[in-house]
Amino acid sequence: MASVELKDLTKSFGDLTVLHNLNLTVEEGEFVALVGPSGCGKSTLLRIIAGLEEPTSGDLTMDGQWVNDLSPRERNIAMVFQSYALYPHMTVADNMGFNLRISGMGKAEIKQRVEETAEILNLSELMSRKPSQLSGGQRQRVAMGRALVRNPDVFLFDEPLSNLDAKLRVQMREEIKRLHKRVRTTSIYVTHDQIEAMTLADRIVILHGGHIQQVGTPTELYRNPANVFVAGFIGSPSMNFLDATLSTGGDRATLSLKDGQTLHCPLSDRLPAETEVTVGLRPEHLLVAPSGANDNVLHGTLELLEPTGAQNHLRVSINGSTLTAVDNTLASVTVDQPVALTIEPEKIHVFAR
Amino acid sequence: MPALTRSLPAVSKHAVMIVGVLVTIFPFVWVAMMGTHTRSEIYSSPPPFYFGDNLISNYERLLEIMPFWLVLWNSLYVSVLGTIGAVFFCSMCAYGFFAYQFRGKNVIFGIMIASMMVPPVLTLIPFFLTVRFLGILDTHFALWFPGVANAFGIFLIRQYMTTSITRDLLDAAKVDGASDFRIYWSVVLPLIKPALATLAIVMFIGLWNNFLTPLIVLSTPEKYVLTLALRSVQSLANSPWGAIMLGTFLSMVPLLVAFLFFSKQMMAGLTAGAVKG
Repeated sequence: MASVELKDLTKSFGDLTVLHNLNLTVEEGEFVALVGPSGCGKSTLLRIIAGLEEPTSGDLTMDGQWVNDLSPRERNIAMVFQSYALYPHMTVADNMGFNLRISGMGKAEIKQRVEETAEILNLSELMSRKPSQLSGGQRQRVAMGRALVRNPDVFLFDEPLSNLDAKLRVQMREEIKRLHKRVRTTSIYVTHDQIEAMTLADRIVILHGGHIQQVGTPTELYRNPANVFVAGFIGSPSMNFLDATLSTGGDRATLSLKDGQTLHCPLSDRLPAETEVTVGLRPEHLLVAPSGANDNVLHGTLELLEPTGAQNHLRVSINGSTLTAVDNTLASVTVDQPVALTIEPEKIHVFAR
Repeated sequence: MPALTRSLPAVSKHAVMIVGVLVTIFPFVWVAMMGTHTRSEIYSSPPPFYFGDNLISNYERLLEIMPFWLVLWNSLYVSVLGTIGAVFFCSMCAYGFFAYQFRGKNVIFGIMIASMMVPPVLTLIPFFLTVRFLGILDTHFALWFPGVANAFGIFLIRQYMTTSITRDLLDAAKVDGASDFRIYWSVVLPLIKPALATLAIVMFIGLWNNFLTPLIVLSTPEKYVLTLALRSVQSLANSPWGAIMLGTFLSMVPLLVAFLFFSKQMMAGLTAGAVKG
């Protein structure tokens, strides 16, 4: 196991800079997810950590040792690829033992290590098969086995579940989590799926346009997103945003929407200094207001009602914007009729515009 | 009647194919038959279209007019070395073009492809001068070595690599700790077997049938290859056609055997890009 540290890491392809001065420390044994939309640089960052790409500037250290110039093997990292990248002409056992064979390990020891790993991953029955004779989930497990068998210092995952169907993805997600609990190897996991990141990682790094937007535990990111991008990226359905004017007279802050409706939230040092702000309201925090309520209530028209069984998703039009609300109470509301939504003051997010 | 109409397309298809096969194998059979006749029988009218009984005497005559087995060995030696060399060096060079990013890669590849457009006859004199300059005139080395890294082979294998090997696979091998040569040897080569077989058979046939290069390079009769030796005896006033035909037929046998062994891989290699799903 090893810690991984990036210091002012920058990567450019010609004139295009894809990673800007990244600083990040991944502690020993930690599971960190790199999340962001396509093209945010997360896979490039993973390839730099793996040693498959060179950073343009900055330092990469593992356990305090400068590793910029080391090959993937010398870094003792293992990587699971999105396409699994199994060697098609080798059996499962050969695929898993390839890296041990390269390192000059004896045949008996290779056999023993491969068998032990295969047992952990339930692959013992498949050892003589070729990758083309395996299902997607089995290939995924072989790819993990190939990484696991060599006892690496750091595990790198590059969107390993994105080629699986939804059900299998959930199952493999659990397996990865269980595996990490068992081996406790430092892991860096790239995904564009925030649910995957939230469920697996100890900490999440949100990347956007080659910049780190925020680093934190899943709960921190959900509760205290640093900016509009993080707020919109974490959470499903994603957060609603409204433009508002902030005034801080009295013992609470007042947010005035364009149509004159107001919301109130507690004063805190997290409130931006500007008066023109963006208000963020999570769909699951918006409740259908009981009749007569008048504090922190937004009035609008119900545009669409989407029942999902346990909850209803309401699409409410408020002064030209459409808000999504998740209603767990299954309140009886009618489409095209006025509806009032309310939110607890503490759950209102305010961002500088 | 309707049954006949229905089966007409199939019948005509088969008829065309059978005619095609007959046209293709006729010269082989004809040469084999001529190898069993005397010179006067061959020149009789109509020429005999059956196997004669002069096989043994033709064989003895063949050994008299040329050291047939030595010449056959020379051909085999040149063709095998050239084929192995081409498969090895072309695949290595193709791997370079496929796996590495370097300045001017596309320009170099383009020039290489363009060189395939130059008619071989145009390079005959420069080739001779180069071979003479290198001091390898009248050696077998000059027959097989210059072709071991050829544009066609590099192009063929590189194209096959781009359709059958993903970049992730190379990266996975790198992460597994494989050196560049190890990746080429243990990961890439086994995956491009069909293309290697195709190149091998094309090279082998090319070297085996090559007449022009031996003609300008070789001068010692003991170093002659089959094509050259068979041609050289035809200049005699009284060409022993039965013996020459027998020698010609025997010279075709190694090719037929090679094709029997590799035809499946060859087809796979030639169609791989077209049918990959």
